[in-house]
Amino acid sequence: MSRPQAHLSDEALVLLAARSEESALAELYDRYGRTAYGLALRILRDPALAEDAVQDAFLAIWRTASRFVPERGKASTWILTLVHRRAVDTVRREQRRRTESIERAPEPGGSAADEDAWLRLQRERVQEALRRLPDAQREALELAYYGGLSQSELAERLGQPLGTIKSRMFTGLSRMRELLGDPGAEMSWTSTT
Amino acid sequence: MDLHDLTAAYALDALDAEEAEAYEQHLAQCDDCRTQLANLTETAAALAFAPRAPDPPVRLREAILDAARAERSNVVPLLRRRWVARTAVVAAAVAACVVVGVVVASTHSNGKRLASAVVVLGTGGRATLQVSGLGSAPHGKTYEAWVIPSGGRARPAGLFTSGTTRIRLGNVPPKAVVAVTVERAGGADAPTTTPLVSAQT
Repeated sequence: MSRPQAHLSDEALVLLAARSEESALAELYDRYGRTAYGLALRILRDPALAEDAVQDAFLAIWRTASRFVPERGKASTWILTLVHRRAVDTVRREQRRRTESIERAPEPGGSAADEDAWLRLQRERVQEALRRLPDAQREALELAYYGGLSQSELAERLGQPLGTIKSRMFTGLSRMRELLGDPGAEMSWTSTT
Repeated sequence: MDLHDLTAAYALDALDAEEAEAYEQHLAQCDDCRTQLANLTETAAALAFAPRAPDPPVRLREAILDAARAERSNVVPLLRRRWVARTAVVAAAVAACVVVGVVVASTHSNGKRLASAVVVLGTGGRATLQVSGLGSAPHGKTYEAWVIPSGGRARPAGLFTSGTTRIRLGNVPPKAVVAVTVERAGGADAPTTTPLVSAQT
């Protein structure tokens, strides 16, 4: 597949999408669609609902690209936050799915063979950082982020005071940030294709 | 309820609607929370990469692009509305050369225009870049302009420190992107930061 915009930064692509450049949206999808779908599927565990969430999120990107402010954060953060929020909204509407055991969710069967090397690296890096967290912090982050539980639901489920839950989420995320290193140092713009 | 405490939960989308609304109101007035939220949101988004991701169905890509195309007719890009006025201003500024095209890009925050870049394409593929509203470059840093041909490497096209300036870009091929980044004083061989403005010719 020809990717004429493969050399552009994510942020430049969002700026082009704001000018209704459809090819920029296509390139953003080619970079983050798989991650977005994997995330939505992990949260929703229903391929049809996951597709809907990803489609809603990418159309939101298309409609609101002109409001993206590069100085405030990375485009990938903005994109994945939109995907996450839509998936969580859906899972909260579909309350019945919650009764299943979230933490023992099977890994979806992925065709890892053709997985992009960069995506594999990202996945291993984040999985390793999660593994190194204390169990209680990892559990709070996973139930919130992948389970779509609110902090009050987390407190109830784990039988802990709300303050303890807040503190686990904050300490867990802060520790993750350290473990992942300074993301600002990451080269997201490459001049080669 | 101490609203500062809700930053991590907000970054994880772990607040109910009422709590999220209260936190967003607080956020408008609290610089510390905005900074902390930006950091924690970036880390939370990294969690998206952890699940092993199967390929999404091919039809999903098509469905998204079809829907985007269908919506495009309803979108009025801000930049095109300014085209006429801008062209007149720029044409006057560069009356000495024959202008064959103008590209405008701008960045916005809450509807307020922060900076704009105007690329004036002259005859023979030569172009100039007019930048305004960037503010002076931070101490020890410089602005650097880039010409990035479609499918090619970014070419350094000039350094400047004033936030409002005009520089010659040299040859700019069709469908190239012109961008401005902040680099350490002396400039870089390839862009190392997110572009502040970029425009495609």
